[in-house]
Amino acid sequence: MKKTLRLIKRFILLVIVIMPMLFALNLALFVAFTYRERSSNSGWEAAKEIGRELAPDEGGSLQLSEAGERILAEFQAWGILVEDGTGDVIWHSEGLPDEIPLHYSAAEISWYTRGYIRDYPTTVGARGDDLVILGHPKTAYWKLMWNTFDYQSIAEMPKMLLSFLAMNSVLIFLIYMVLATRILRSVKPVVEGLEMLPMEEVHVWEKGFLAEVAAAVNRVNEKLRAQERAIRKKENARAGWISGVSHDIRTPLTMVMGYAAEMEEDEALPGEIRKKAEIIRLQSMKMKNLVGDLNLASKLEYQMQPVKPERLNLKAVLRQAAVDFMNLDLEGKYPIEFRCDEKESICILQGDKELLLRAVVNVLGNSRQHNPEGCHISITLRIENQDAMQSEPHFTPETPSAQRTPSVLPAARQAESARSTVPVRQIAHILIEDDGVGVTDEKLETIRNTPHYMMGSGSGVQLRHGLGLLIVRQITAAHSGQVRIDHSPTGGFLVEILLPVNEAVNLQ
Amino acid sequence: MECDYLKQKKILLVDDEEQLRDMVASILAQEGYVRIRTAGTVKEALEAAREWEPEFAILDVMLPDGDGFGLLEKLKERKDIPVLFLTARGEDEDKFRGFGLGADDYVVKPFLPKELLFRIAAVLRRSYKEETPRVRLAACEIDFARAEVLRGEERLPLTAKEFELLSVLYRNEGRIVTIDGLCEAAWGDNPYGYENSLMAHIRRIREKIEENPSKPASLLTVKGLGYKLVLRR
Repeated sequence: MKKTLRLIKRFILLVIVIMPMLFALNLALFVAFTYRERSSNSGWEAAKEIGRELAPDEGGSLQLSEAGERILAEFQAWGILVEDGTGDVIWHSEGLPDEIPLHYSAAEISWYTRGYIRDYPTTVGARGDDLVILGHPKTAYWKLMWNTFDYQSIAEMPKMLLSFLAMNSVLIFLIYMVLATRILRSVKPVVEGLEMLPMEEVHVWEKGFLAEVAAAVNRVNEKLRAQERAIRKKENARAGWISGVSHDIRTPLTMVMGYAAEMEEDEALPGEIRKKAEIIRLQSMKMKNLVGDLNLASKLEYQMQPVKPERLNLKAVLRQAAVDFMNLDLEGKYPIEFRCDEKESICILQGDKELLLRAVVNVLGNSRQHNPEGCHISITLRIENQDAMQSEPHFTPETPSAQRTPSVLPAARQAESARSTVPVRQIAHILIEDDGVGVTDEKLETIRNTPHYMMGSGSGVQLRHGLGLLIVRQITAAHSGQVRIDHSPTGGFLVEILLPVNEAVNLQ
Repeated sequence: MECDYLKQKKILLVDDEEQLRDMVASILAQEGYVRIRTAGTVKEALEAAREWEPEFAILDVMLPDGDGFGLLEKLKERKDIPVLFLTARGEDEDKFRGFGLGADDYVVKPFLPKELLFRIAAVLRRSYKEETPRVRLAACEIDFARAEVLRGEERLPLTAKEFELLSVLYRNEGRIVTIDGLCEAAWGDNPYGYENSLMAHIRRIREKIEENPSKPASLLTVKGLGYKLVLRR
C-alpha cells in the first residue's frame, strides 16, 4: 500500500513537471499551424479577387488582368465565371481541364459552391450577380462537405474536451501504475538477490523485464556457492582427515600407554626397564595430547566445533581446571596456587564451559611439559573495567587466523550491546604463571608472532611450537577475548587470558 | 581394602579390538576384579548378558555389528546396570553430555590404566552404594548406610548436607573436589555459590571426624580450590 502511495505521488509529480512542458509545446504547434492556416484560407478571397480582376475588353469579352493571372498561378487553380440566370460559363481561364462542364444548373451550383467539380475542390466568389468558381488542384484542400454542426455539441465542446482530458489522464495513470508496479516487481527480487549474494544461497525468478539480469545474478550465485562449497569441502576434508587419523591412532595408543604403565609399576621388572616404560608412557601421553589438540585445533580453525555458550561462573571453571590438573599430578610436582579477589565470589559470563576449561588446562599442560622437574603454578583471576584492556601496554591483537574463527556468541553479543547503557563493561583477567624455566626473549617473540604451521602456508621450516597455545588463542578469540604471552616476574612463563564479562555479581 | 565387595561385581567388557580387550581385562584382573567376561560384538554381548547377568558393563562405542549406544539401550532394557563407555572419538563426548543416554561415565581413548580404574571404581561405588560398608578415616569410621560417624563407642549423626558433602568426597576419595562441585552437590546447580556456608559445613564435619579439627588429617583443604578426603589404608 505504501508502495502504491509512493507511486501515485511520483506520478503526480511527473505530471506537474511535464504539464507546462506539454502546454508550451502544444501552444507552439498551434501557433505554427494556425499561421499557415490563415494563408490557406484565402482560397475564398482569391475567388472574389478574380471576380474583381475580370473586365470586358474592347470587343466586350471578359479578360483577366495580369494581377488575376498571378493569383491563379499562385493557387495553381483554374477559374470559370457562371452567368446568372443562364447557368452558362461566360469566361474561363486558360488550361481549364476538359472534363469541366460549361453549363450549370442551379442545383449543380449549390453543390459546387461548397464542394467539388469533378474532384477539383472549389472556392467561389460573387462578381455582381455572376459567380466566379475557382477549381484548385485536387490535393489542395481537405474540404468539409457540411458546415452544419449540432449547436449543442459545439456548446458542450469545452466540457467534452475536459472530460476527454480527464479520461486520458486516468488511462495514462493506469498504464503508468501497471508498468511501474511490474518494473518494481521484477526489479525487487533482483536487487534483494544482489544484496543477499555475499551471504547466502540466492535464486531470483527469471521472469519479467529483468529476466536477463536475474539470470546473471543466478549465475553469479552459482559460481559463488560452488566456490564456497569447494572451499568448505577442502576444509572439511582436512578436518575430517585429521579427525580420522586421530581416531585411528587412539586405540593403538591406548595399548602402548596401558602396557607401558603396567610395566612401569611391575615390581618384578628391573628398575631400568621400568624407567624405560615410564618414558614410553610419558611420550605416549604427549602423543595423546597432541592428537587431541590437533583434532580440536583443526575443528576450531574450520569452524566445525560448535561453541555452546551458557551462563557460567568463570571462577568455578578455573578451579575445575586447576583441580583436574592437580588430580592427575600424583607426585605433586606442580602445586597450583589459586588467587582471586575475595570480593569476586563469582564471575558470571557467557561461554562454552568445556572449551574454556580446555584452554586453561592447555596452559597448565604447557607448564608441565616444559618443566619436567616440576614448578609452582599460580592462577589469578582479576576483574577490571574495560579501559584496562585498551591501555594494556603489551597487548597484541590476535593473529588474523585466530580472528577468522567465528565470533560465535551472537546471543552474548546482543546481550552486550543491549547492555551498552551500562557505563563500564568489565574484563576478566586470567593470569596463569609459573616459576619454571621460562623462555628466552627470542622464543617469546617467535611464539607471539609466528603463526602455527597449521595456519601458515609456509614450508614449515619456521620454528614450530605446540598446538596448546594455538588452541588457547582460538578458544579465547571465539569468546571475543585476547591472549597475552610474557615472562612471569619469577622468570617463568606467563599467559594472560582476557575475557569480556557480561555481568559481574558480587554476593556474600 | 574396604570395598572388596565391589571387586566381586560381574563386569562385561565389550570392545571389537581383541588386544585392547585383553589389556583392559588384565588391568582389571591386576586391580583385583575377579569376574570379568569379554565380548567383541553386540551379538556376543547380548548373549553374555542373557546367560551371565553382568552387574557392570564397559562398552566401546564403535562395534562391528552396531554401536555402543544401541547396545546400552538393549542392556538397560534387560536390567538397569551401570555402564561406562570407552570412546575413541572426541565427538562422542557431545552425546555423553548430561548422560542422557543412561551412561554413567565415559573414558576417551587413550587412557591410563589408573584413570580407567578410578572411573570404574567411582561408578561402581555410586551404583552399589547401599552395600557401602564403613569407611575408615584417620580418627573415625563413617557409616554411610546410617549416616553416622563412629568414634570409639560414640555415634555422631550426620546432617543431610554433611552426608551429601561426605558422599561426594568419598566417591572422589584421594582426589580434590572443587568448592563449586561440593556446593552443587549440597545445594544444587546454582552459580551464585555458597562458599561461606560450605566452609561452615566443612568445619562442622571436621569437628565430627577429625581428632584435631584445626589440624585435619582426613578432610584436607586445598587452598582456594577445594577439599580432599583421605582414607586410612
